[in-house]
Amino acid sequence: MSWRNFRLRRPAASAVGPRADGAIRMFHVSKSYLAGTFALRDVSIELGKGELAFLTGPSGAGKTTLLKLLFGAERPSEGQIVVLGRNIARLGASAIPPLRRRIGVVFQDFKLLPRRTVEENVALALHVTGAPPREVRARVFAILKQLGLQHRRFHHPLSLSGGEQQRVAIARALVNEPEILLADEPTGNLDPDLTIDIMELIASTALRGTTVVVATHELEIVRRFGKRTVRLEGGRIAEDTGLPEWRR
Amino acid sequence: MNRSYFQLIHFVKTAVRGMLSSPVTSGVAVVTIGVTLILVGAFALVLGNMETILNDFGDELRVTAYLEPGVSSEARDALVARASQLPGVNGVEAISPDEAMARFRKSVGTATALLEGLEGNPLPASLEVSLTPELRSPEGLEGIVSAIEALPGVANLSSGREWVEGYLRAVALVRGIGTGLGAILAFATLLIVTNTIRLGIFARRDELEILSLVGASRAFVQSPFLLEGVLQGAAGGAIALGLLFALFRLVLPGFDFGLELLMGGAPRFFSGFESMLVVAVGAGLGLLGSAAALGGGWRS
Repeated sequence: MSWRNFRLRRPAASAVGPRADGAIRMFHVSKSYLAGTFALRDVSIELGKGELAFLTGPSGAGKTTLLKLLFGAERPSEGQIVVLGRNIARLGASAIPPLRRRIGVVFQDFKLLPRRTVEENVALALHVTGAPPREVRARVFAILKQLGLQHRRFHHPLSLSGGEQQRVAIARALVNEPEILLADEPTGNLDPDLTIDIMELIASTALRGTTVVVATHELEIVRRFGKRTVRLEGGRIAEDTGLPEWRR
Repeated sequence: MNRSYFQLIHFVKTAVRGMLSSPVTSGVAVVTIGVTLILVGAFALVLGNMETILNDFGDELRVTAYLEPGVSSEARDALVARASQLPGVNGVEAISPDEAMARFRKSVGTATALLEGLEGNPLPASLEVSLTPELRSPEGLEGIVSAIEALPGVANLSSGREWVEGYLRAVALVRGIGTGLGAILAFATLLIVTNTIRLGIFARRDELEILSLVGASRAFVQSPFLLEGVLQGAAGGAIALGLLFALFRLVLPGFDFGLELLMGGAPRFFSGFESMLVVAVGAGLGLLGSAAALGGGWRS
């Protein structure tokens, strides 16, 4: 089976599809780095379990800031953010790592360690949980096989193509079976052919109940998937196709 | 096996990998700790052996009270009885002039020329007073010397107090130099180890960022660096111990005769426990350096 046909194991039907108990809830969130200037302003979004949403907008619109807020890399200046039932604004520093183990993050620049093998890069996400070596090896092999990278597991990232490197990064983000997957311009460094493949791979994780948020400025791709799109402009939500018509 | 065990294994692997990935900086830290411990260890060895001399000398420490000429044997026995009653006195032995001369002849051995020209026996009768260990100090000696001097019939005293005082001053000097040098070197070592670990943190900032992204706790990220410091320190300690032992074995034989004469026996190296302590001190220095690096420069 080619990795292009990859679909993560589909969970029970009850776990599939958006639910009322939102995995991500943002209420009137603002983020300011300098007094008087806002990277995000009065943003309210609710994403259910298994929902896929695209964050779009021009550079500087606040897409990355929004993602950073979701995995606790930044704290909101105003408003509340509830991620997997935890209020990010009130979360202590020691509570952030356990939350992050439930969230997978994929970046445009892959963020792989060049001196570690593919297997070691993916295994990092399991080592932090203290998983036994046998379990680590088995799970890493399983996810690499699902993504068609098992034959590359002893290679170093720099010997892989851009698409393969991004698949390794996705494998690392998914190996812990996260409840939320955040992707920040995951195809920004890839060829158009690979872009579709990688985007489909990321989008398919929503089928197993993972909430997926993809920040991208590639509107063509967004239109192709026809999923919920939140367009940011100047730090504000300019459009959210997930809202009923009367609330847009 | 629980998850902490697997994390510990991961920390050890990561720490060793960290050291191997920057062998030069790690080597500098190990050598620095090693040099510090060689210098401090050498002082500790000298000091330990000097204290051994002091203790051995203390065991043989006696106050000799020379009696006035013409003291009768009855009066001498009475003096022995009175001296034995003094606090801190372990035993008193009366030495007659003839016994004193016999001892002197024995001590000069073949150098009999020293005895030529002597008319009669010029040596006085004396009392040799042995002391309890508590009195084998300049302060202790002062009290007992005063008490013996006050006894009737005692002409003068020889207590070895001046020697003890001088030797204690020498011991204090070596200890002072050792402590001062140790403190300065330990501080310099801490700075070097701290900067080594900081360099390591900087070199691995990408890895730390990724670990943070995948949910590593602060303790999970910091533990390998602390362990790295401990391993570097222990390696430095082990190297210092090995070199000190080699020096001890190679250099000291040249001074064997003089040292044996001075100490009444061969100088001793560190015991097993003391050797472990040298390695542990190295590990402690490494740990402190790492902790300082993580505490001071973590956020940056």
